[in-house]
Amino acid sequence: MSLIEARALTKRYGEHVTALDALDLEVEPGIIGLVGANGAGKSTLLKILLGLLSPTDGSASVMGLDVTRQGPEIRQFVGYLPEHDCLPPDASATEFVTHMGRMSGLPAAAARERTAEVLRHVGLYEERYRPIGGYSTGMKQRVKLAQALVHDPKLLLLDEPTNGLDPAGRDEMLDLVKRTGTEFGIATVVASHLLGEIERVCTFLLAIDAGKLLRAAPIVSFTERTGTLGVEVEDRADELAAALMARGLEATADGRAVLVTSPDERRYDVVRDAVDELGLALVRLEHKRHRLEDLFSGEAIG
Amino acid sequence: MTAREPLAARESATGAIYDLGYRAYDGPRLGRSAAVATLFWHSLRAAFGWGRSGRSKIVPWGLTAFALAPAAIATAISALVPFGGASPFSYDNYIFQISIILALFVAAQAPELVSGDQRNRVLSLYFSHALERADYGLAKLGAMIVAVFILTFAPMLVLFVGSILVATDVADALGDQLENLPQVIVAPLIYAVPLAALGLAIAAWTPRRAYATGAIIAVFIVSAAVAGILGEATRGRLADWSQLVNPMVAADGTRDLLVGEPNFESPASRGNLDLWVFGVETLLLSAAATAAIVWRYRRVAA
Repeated sequence: MSLIEARALTKRYGEHVTALDALDLEVEPGIIGLVGANGAGKSTLLKILLGLLSPTDGSASVMGLDVTRQGPEIRQFVGYLPEHDCLPPDASATEFVTHMGRMSGLPAAAARERTAEVLRHVGLYEERYRPIGGYSTGMKQRVKLAQALVHDPKLLLLDEPTNGLDPAGRDEMLDLVKRTGTEFGIATVVASHLLGEIERVCTFLLAIDAGKLLRAAPIVSFTERTGTLGVEVEDRADELAAALMARGLEATADGRAVLVTSPDERRYDVVRDAVDELGLALVRLEHKRHRLEDLFSGEAIG
Repeated sequence: MTAREPLAARESATGAIYDLGYRAYDGPRLGRSAAVATLFWHSLRAAFGWGRSGRSKIVPWGLTAFALAPAAIATAISALVPFGGASPFSYDNYIFQISIILALFVAAQAPELVSGDQRNRVLSLYFSHALERADYGLAKLGAMIVAVFILTFAPMLVLFVGSILVATDVADALGDQLENLPQVIVAPLIYAVPLAALGLAIAAWTPRRAYATGAIIAVFIVSAAVAGILGEATRGRLADWSQLVNPMVAADGTRDLLVGEPNFESPASRGNLDLWVFGVETLLLSAAATAAIVWRYRRVAA
């Protein structure tokens, strides 16, 4: 039994908008990155898994439970962080998270106890007794994460968890997500359009585009070395490229860098000599890796 | 030493999160019924501003005081002036007399229960917890019915207890008054169900609280005015049937039908229509409003 399974899952809004287009998926536990451009169908997929939306066609299951027929059972074990605001301004974090714990079926005493623990985990202290309306965006995101964690879910669905955060807030939220997934062993799906964030926290990647699955694979397979050597110089990259070609290497200038694609063992020596001969300032030599961005720029990945 | 550690963690710039170790939850998960019960109690408390700011208590408690005042004053007078004449209030006419207070309570508190969840998008969190969309509407409806019941039952209880206590022979009066107990309990319910359902069905339609309050007041006042004008301006059958426009009259006719005696301040008891017509109207109105609430929450975006 997979954590998440989808078979020909389709969601259409009206006649013309197809958010999910016969999507087939099988996902095992881990920290799963769900990437795609805005409008690729990420939020729609999460909402269908939660039973917030019903699919137009096809089927999906979470932990072996059918999303259209067993919604309440699934949702007892799922935590959800929506991308939009979803907090009442007049309640305090403690009141609200306790209430949401009880909405997941926790007894009152357990809900209170776990609220205290989980608010500490996300880093909310004295301010948890004040109304949420006065919180900063960063604090609100933490409350949203806390309410998703309060009932100790087996699956966490996070929709753009770093939305609206400043760089420091982003780092903290990503660390929190990573620790929650790795140390506590809660299977997590992080939807984001920011590939850098996905790369930092996730072990597995689902890429969707226009409602179709582009690729599903462990994240390392996206970032392997390509065999291309990047040579960055201060200027005159095109002269260097020409010099390398004259020495029998395949080289192309790319901005301030020259990309050497020949797998020749002697290429480091050749590059060194050519740079020296032209009197260039060498900034960096690096093995080029695949980048997640390549997924969406249409380049084939090995 | 251990006690100091959280403080140290809070003060450090990077490690804002102090980890006491995340604990898994192995206790009971009470599921859908517990979630619905939680929402019901939470909403009932909210209807009287319980657990909220002092400001949100003013309207419900003020209206409760207004609803109680005539009963309390009448009881006090009959206690102080033993043979001061008959009280202007009876179990039959009291609720109809304070129907404007009921309308104001519903107009103020039905939006209090539901508008914020839509406006702040807390609905998407509720719907991603262990209940179904329709459960949300029904739990809110249950809370609103009980709230209006409390508002109407309280003065009936004052009349009931008062008439026993001011009697010269308390034991004898107790025996007499116990016969009225079904009426004291059922009459408030006959008002509470259609009024709460109608108010909530209107409030569920908009995230804007002020619009909802205005719309509910308009429906109650306009319906009463239209019924009044038609009753004056027309003759015969039309004048009788026009009274059905006013839901307060419908509720009073139903009360007359099921418990108690005619109330000649209400057109239902004065007119020439069979009382079962009002009973059927109350039933249909309650059912249609409940259906509208469920329909709305099945479809509202979350």
